[in-house]
Amino acid sequence: MRKRSSASWVILLSYFIAYLLAVVPFPEWALNYRPQWVAMVMIYWTMALPYRVGIGYAWMAGLMLDILEGSLLGLNALALAIIAYITLSLHQRLRMFSQLQQSGVVLALIGLHLMMTYWMKIAAGQSVASNMLFLLGALSSAFLWPWLFVLLRQLRRSFGVR
Amino acid sequence: MVLSVAVIFADSRFDYLDRVRYSLGLLTAPVYWLADVPARVSYWIDDVFVSHGDLIEENARLREELLFAQRELQLLAGLASDNSRLRALQEASAEVQGRVLTAEIINISSNIGSRRVLINRGAQHGVHEGQALLDAHGLMGQVEEVLPFTSWVMLITDPRHGTPVQVNRNGERAVARGSREGIPELELEFVPDTADIVEGDLLVSSGLGQRFPKDYPVAEVTEVIHDRGQPFAIIKARPVAQMDRTRHVMLVDLELDDPSAQLESGAAPVWVDSGASLVDGQDMEPESDTSASSQAEPVVEAAAETQEQG
Repeated sequence: MRKRSSASWVILLSYFIAYLLAVVPFPEWALNYRPQWVAMVMIYWTMALPYRVGIGYAWMAGLMLDILEGSLLGLNALALAIIAYITLSLHQRLRMFSQLQQSGVVLALIGLHLMMTYWMKIAAGQSVASNMLFLLGALSSAFLWPWLFVLLRQLRRSFGVR
Repeated sequence: MVLSVAVIFADSRFDYLDRVRYSLGLLTAPVYWLADVPARVSYWIDDVFVSHGDLIEENARLREELLFAQRELQLLAGLASDNSRLRALQEASAEVQGRVLTAEIINISSNIGSRRVLINRGAQHGVHEGQALLDAHGLMGQVEEVLPFTSWVMLITDPRHGTPVQVNRNGERAVARGSREGIPELELEFVPDTADIVEGDLLVSSGLGQRFPKDYPVAEVTEVIHDRGQPFAIIKARPVAQMDRTRHVMLVDLELDDPSAQLESGAAPVWVDSGASLVDGQDMEPESDTSASSQAEPVVEAAAETQEQG
């Protein structure tokens, strides 16, 4: 274990697992509830290490997600970059928030992310308009946030990622 | 911000980024491979821990099925020779069925508005865009995007996908579009109220549009609604392929021997059109079983081709 090192691999590993979870097959009825793992991990790292993981990282992460999902290149990249920007400007306050308040912010951020990708997909003709049930994904993400937060904080502390 | 808008625009309007997408696709292969591990392990466990009795039972069942299939094959041989003779009369080119490549579905798109699956065959295995995907029961979709080791396939139930079909019973043609309501169904578009399509009709691919091989089963009509207020009949159909249950699929090439030659041969004999309508009107009606209609089909099909190209 490399203490007090930059330990980028922890960040990369967490992203890798988030990508895995993002493509794991879901049953049809639960598709709307699929949590946005990559966006959540991105929010955490942006909040915890704003001087290291910024909009650029978010953009790359989004691009990777685009390729993974086979969607339009740059679509998730743009959405994640905007989310990262908001998180960056809020990160001081976010750290002070209680878990519940953080979950509320995550709900709003993921909701925005889902909305943006939905609009862009329709504008680009990659998808057709459906009902708004896909926003339930934001709810499940917000619900899972406290656990993810504790897990990632534990990881960050034990591996000394800074 | 500007960069991502530029990238989105470049990707949606031009194909500069196809190379980038293709090479980055290499990176995604391990992720999908890992995500697919649980499914593969469960299949492996199913295969390994199977009881002797089950195996014997399955063996017996398979043998029975083979017997049935062979019987049908014998019937088919007769039909095929009839068919080829009729074709020879018309000087139509013999139907060549292309190469078949087996594949497995390894992932499903999580996007709500579209229906796509990922298969474990890519450019390295010779997959190319536009290939048709079939399962053991019928047509499933077509390859939309090819990555090095995987490919995205758009299913026929995708709301953006239209499949040219015809009714197996009488050759009535239509376009089957994926349902917009988020259910895996097909809707026949712009079918006049007077069209002879009833519940239970089998829809087969018509081969128009030259994307899908001809005469593969596509869907079964489940609902026909004649609404006087609507200009067209509302017809719904259920795909015969096991869209969300099957894992084993195959890719089929549509081999057109020479498009220009086919165009010429298809466009030249105008008399086929009237001949076909004669057959359609007189011979077809009294006979309703499928073997008779499949004999008469080449004539109807040729007429369809002339109509499209003329």
